[in-house]
Amino acid sequence: MMISSRLRTTRTFPRPSAHRRTLAVAAAAATLATLLAACGTSSSDDDGGDDSKPAAADAGAPLDPKTKVTLTIDCMPPATKAAELKEWKEDVAEFNKTYPNVTIQGKQTDPCLEPPRFTAMLKAKSQPDVFYTYFTDLQQVLDNDGAEDISAYVNDKTLPALKGIDPGVMDVMKKDGKQYGLPYSNYTMGLLINRKLFEEAGLDPNTPPATWEEVRTAAKKIAALGKGVAGYGEYSAANTGGWHFTAATYGLGGEVVSADGTKAAFNDETGKQVVENLRAMRWDDDSMGKTQLLKWGDLQKQMAADKLGMFLAAPDDITYMVQNLKAKYENFGMGPIPGAKATLFGGNDYMIKKGSSPDKIKAAIAWLNFKFLTPGKGQFDWARTKADGLPVGLPQPNLFTGDAKTQDDATRGENSTMPVENFKAFMDNPVPGKAEPPKAQEIYKVLDNVMSGVLTNKNADVAKLLSTAETQVNQVLANQ
Amino acid sequence: MAAVEIRQRTLISPAQLARRRGRITYWIVLALVLGLFTVIFLGPLYWMVSGGLKSTQEVIQTPPTAVPHTVEPGNYSDAWQLMDLARLLGNTLFYAFGALAFQLVFDVAAAYSLSKLRPVFGKVILGAMLATLMIPATVLIVPQYLTVIDVPIVERNLLNSPWAIWLPSVTNAFNIFLLKRFFDSIPRELMDAAAMDGASAARTLWSVILPMSRPILGVVSIFAVVGVWKDFLWPMLTLPDPAAQTLNIGIYSLSTGVPLNTLIAALTIASVPTLLFFLVFQRNIMSGLTAGGLKG
Amino acid sequence: MSALTAPKSPAGVRHGPARGPATDGRAAFARAFRRNVSAHGFLIGAVLCFGFFSWYPMVREFFLAFQKTEDGRTVWVGLDNLRYIANDPAFWQAWRNTLLFTGLALLLGFVVPFLVAVLLNELRHGQGYLRLLVYLPVMLPPVASVLLFKYLYDPGYGLFNAAFGAVGLPEQQWLQSSDTAMLCIVLASTWMNMGGATLIYLAALQGIPGELYEAAELDGAGLWRKIWHVTVPQTRLILSLMLLLQIIATMQVFTEPFLLTGGAGPEGSTTTVVYLIYQYAFSFNNYGAAAALGLVLLVLLAAFSAAYTRLSRAGDEG
Repeated sequence: MMISSRLRTTRTFPRPSAHRRTLAVAAAAATLATLLAACGTSSSDDDGGDDSKPAAADAGAPLDPKTKVTLTIDCMPPATKAAELKEWKEDVAEFNKTYPNVTIQGKQTDPCLEPPRFTAMLKAKSQPDVFYTYFTDLQQVLDNDGAEDISAYVNDKTLPALKGIDPGVMDVMKKDGKQYGLPYSNYTMGLLINRKLFEEAGLDPNTPPATWEEVRTAAKKIAALGKGVAGYGEYSAANTGGWHFTAATYGLGGEVVSADGTKAAFNDETGKQVVENLRAMRWDDDSMGKTQLLKWGDLQKQMAADKLGMFLAAPDDITYMVQNLKAKYENFGMGPIPGAKATLFGGNDYMIKKGSSPDKIKAAIAWLNFKFLTPGKGQFDWARTKADGLPVGLPQPNLFTGDAKTQDDATRGENSTMPVENFKAFMDNPVPGKAEPPKAQEIYKVLDNVMSGVLTNKNADVAKLLSTAETQVNQVLANQ
Repeated sequence: MAAVEIRQRTLISPAQLARRRGRITYWIVLALVLGLFTVIFLGPLYWMVSGGLKSTQEVIQTPPTAVPHTVEPGNYSDAWQLMDLARLLGNTLFYAFGALAFQLVFDVAAAYSLSKLRPVFGKVILGAMLATLMIPATVLIVPQYLTVIDVPIVERNLLNSPWAIWLPSVTNAFNIFLLKRFFDSIPRELMDAAAMDGASAARTLWSVILPMSRPILGVVSIFAVVGVWKDFLWPMLTLPDPAAQTLNIGIYSLSTGVPLNTLIAALTIASVPTLLFFLVFQRNIMSGLTAGGLKG
Repeated sequence: MSALTAPKSPAGVRHGPARGPATDGRAAFARAFRRNVSAHGFLIGAVLCFGFFSWYPMVREFFLAFQKTEDGRTVWVGLDNLRYIANDPAFWQAWRNTLLFTGLALLLGFVVPFLVAVLLNELRHGQGYLRLLVYLPVMLPPVASVLLFKYLYDPGYGLFNAAFGAVGLPEQQWLQSSDTAMLCIVLASTWMNMGGATLIYLAALQGIPGELYEAAELDGAGLWRKIWHVTVPQTRLILSLMLLLQIIATMQVFTEPFLLTGGAGPEGSTTTVVYLIYQYAFSFNNYGAAAALGLVLLVLLAAFSAAYTRLSRAGDEG
């Protein structure tokens, strides 16, 4: 479950530092050399690296089935999630058929990750052998020297589905060319709609608005229903406002930070369009409701109570609304993010504790491969998921591309427990994913002011809000 | 108390009040104050109780309804189950009374030692303790947090353990100050008499000092318990595990994830136990507080 | 503090030899040593707690403020952290907001309870009920009160706008406007917390001798002059102590803005210093910056308390 990942998106981000970047080239070259040595040569070649660890030479080879090793791993489903826990245990049992001597010791952490606990864990170096993190945590983990570089261990043999995994996703767990984690799940953002309100307002729920003009028109119609119903909702607090500004800007093909990561890049026509559109919806049309300063969790409540027509969201917001807010899957639909040029993505992954033995690393990769990265197995065994009464059909996780994706989508569709056609617009129009900007949280904090400014102040000057934010983001980026 | 005593002379002179105009003004003011205070202090509470009865749609409807159209008592049972109030309340009491016990033992002993036993460096230690009064707790939140997740020397992580609440609560310089001042006012002769009888320092504390110190112990206890009861940031950081959370943090966690009507119902439920406790013991609490009041 | 001192024992008879006739030096030393061991024994628990959770963190704050941890290494960075916070666009805004909050909180949270206490003290009926009402909110779990206020303030479905509408007043944005957000936070905070201060003032008022009012009346003093010349001076000590405590408390405000406006508020108008510390440490994982800002606040408050105590002491003597 990735519910908290959204909450989490609101924190931590890599702080690139100048001196580190200069090291990058050298490090990348070294990694490449290791990779070549690992993949291209067999273990009998002893001329290779006499300085490297004894086992490093055969790092690329899959785990020897006879290896005896114990792995601790967190984010095992808690007892309250009986079906997920049952599946976890089944998967361990099946994994042990191939690797009888590997003991998987799951730790039930619910939610899987909580920022203060995570920070404490890294500081005290008390993380399990295999530990759960969000995409945005890499720099924090590295600052605490917490994860092993697994580049040498990851290849087509140890991870047969590697070619099918979205390279953009794999890149998130890379730093200076080194791989530090393997993905568990991911999301891309789109436009979430309330089908019931769409129908009541005389709109077609099967064709969600695709541009901001269409969003505005639809929002106006939905808000006209009255009784405190809002057409479109947006965040403006706890750094989630800046997060959504980024998502909307990406959708229109804009950038938040320049390619070299040194300057703000949102004070342009695209940025203005995003903010001006919000201003018009909030104040000219009054279609965004009166309650602002919302943060993650608030819009979901409104939409689950049929008081909100649309907002930008990841697919698993629907699961959240169904499980926590008593909503129904049928009531929701999704379309691609307005503009559809690019979309913000995020997710979570597992890393391996620094200092683990090569056997442990291999065993960890074997388990992660089996449980999370094999189409038709583990978390992608959709027939079983359905049989266990869990929801199937959400376009998430969305780890694969190409043939692997087609194949996975097909089995997902066959076993779906919800009307997948409601997500057709989202599924049929895949938008390229784009990662968060550097220093994301610090930038989001500044951009929150743009959002809260335009949504709470009737006379807000859009150009001024953006230029102030630009100055401040430049300050943040220059501030090391 | 005031009812029995002859009323003390206050700001307005009795003569003025006795006059016809004075009487009328008095009654008008009284009626206004009673009405206004009732609205100000009970109005929000009514809104809370009734909001918890509204349906998910009605509770966020504009304009709001004064009386729920559809009464849904089910919100309360949902809130009860979701929140697990019994556990949250149990945790909070466990932390609060644990903190109280630690403060009563350590702070009383320290104040006694500083006041009566006067060890070498006693003045320095007292000064260092009182200095922390000038420095509010939140300012040190970061180093304190880093200390709790890895306590030096003993190398322990206190996260999610009650010790993270109890031990830092002992560093309550204000309570030590109050206790020491009180002990200072206990005549030395009583101590000497006990010493003559061969009583140890501990014995003297137990059988001479403490029995005389009931009022101050009451005040210190209220401060200790209220401190834990009101705290938010510290338990939010140090007790992330849902099973270990306090009432405040439990409500806060809940607030992001349930519909508004369920949340409001939860707020009501969370308020009931302490309100009841207060109504039952109000006499003792009020007199304890006013006795603790520092008179000018 | 009269209520907090122990009854005096009948003076006169001196029990026992407090300072006995000089005995042999070694025995005296041994006795002093024993006394010190037991005295420090009584102290040790509190001293250890202070050491670990108060003094050590204080020292550590100084260290952290001048250090940075990156890639598993901790290095000294001189004034970098201070430079970082000074360059943060939110830095000055946070200070302005915190001072605004403190100012408003003094206006409301300090003056209102005093006036309420004076008023209640005059009433001969229903005083018990009124005291109960005023103190009621103090007993609610603070988070419950704050969230209740968030619900009341909502410009759409909240009670306040409904009430304003009912009596023909224009609707307000309450927490959702950079002009009124801080005021709303202070109002909520005053509602929640005024009970304690009111009761303390009430107790103090009851200690004012009635003759003073009579004397003032003989001089022809009206209501306000009696308050100003009798009530206030007679409660000055407690007022000045409460003022200090309140300033220190309000400078650290966190919970209310955190819960009511998500922390930063409209255009950052409710970002407070402590919220900024929280963001640095727990959103940006920049403990150095958090410690540096904490250090600045620490130094300021300590200086303020010292100056305040000195001034009020001078005032007492003068």
